[in-house]
Amino acid sequence: MSAATPTYAGTAGAAARGKVGIWWFLASEVMLFGGLISSFVISRLGGSAHVEHDHLNVTVAAINTFILLSSSYTMVEAYAAAERGDRRGMRVFLGLTVLGGLAFLGIKAYEYTGEITHGFTPWAGTFWSFYYTMTGLHALHVLIGVIANATLCLGARLGLERPYRVELAGLYWHFVDIVWIFLFPLVYLS
Amino acid sequence: MTGTTLTRGYVIIWIWLLALMTVSLFANTLPVSRPAIVTLMFVVAAVKAVLVALNFMHLRLEAWLIYAIATAPMLLVFGLMLALFPDFVLPR
Repeated sequence: MSAATPTYAGTAGAAARGKVGIWWFLASEVMLFGGLISSFVISRLGGSAHVEHDHLNVTVAAINTFILLSSSYTMVEAYAAAERGDRRGMRVFLGLTVLGGLAFLGIKAYEYTGEITHGFTPWAGTFWSFYYTMTGLHALHVLIGVIANATLCLGARLGLERPYRVELAGLYWHFVDIVWIFLFPLVYLS
Repeated sequence: MTGTTLTRGYVIIWIWLLALMTVSLFANTLPVSRPAIVTLMFVVAAVKAVLVALNFMHLRLEAWLIYAIATAPMLLVFGLMLALFPDFVLPR
């Protein structure tokens, strides 16, 4: 626990507005990813996008799933620490979440490199077009989350933290996790 | 991590998520039909998503407005997918 518990007078209104705003944003994101995922599902069921399981690295994707699920946990612990006024705990857990996001992106880059060097480029077929679009868009969202969380972590170090900002960043991060929860079985396992 | 405490409820949810991930990973080894395996995988994914939404996103503590915002686009996406089925999936 930090020595002093900070006070956040006047932030209740901003927190409520911010929460409704982020949920609206997430609703638009559901439409974005939902459109992509449903197009892929329909293409698969219609027989035009066969999954090339033999050329995907399920082990690496499973490691990435573990990392993202764990980073979702560290993110919610960062919020819990912020709520308690535990500045150090918030910084530690935000830092762990950022590391998780960076590890995910690094592993994804390794995976892409292996696939592209074997000739499985985004224009190698319908499946690969869907694969790079869905996982690439998801990776872009992870990158944005990493930047947001790193900014919050830096802000906490400078004493500029507000718990509701951690909550809003957390809502976004958990959404990104939920998208991967569906992409993993859809692309790699089924 | 001196001075940093963990929240028991969140740890339990995290363990559940990892356990369900393991179920998905080994679902392909089950001696059942392929459609049953795929169904199991997506049921598990849905359970994981609900666990994250209710507990990590604190949806279970939210007002009806947030539920409405969260569920409306999912229904739209589902409706869109069903509407496209006759043209792209079902035999003519």
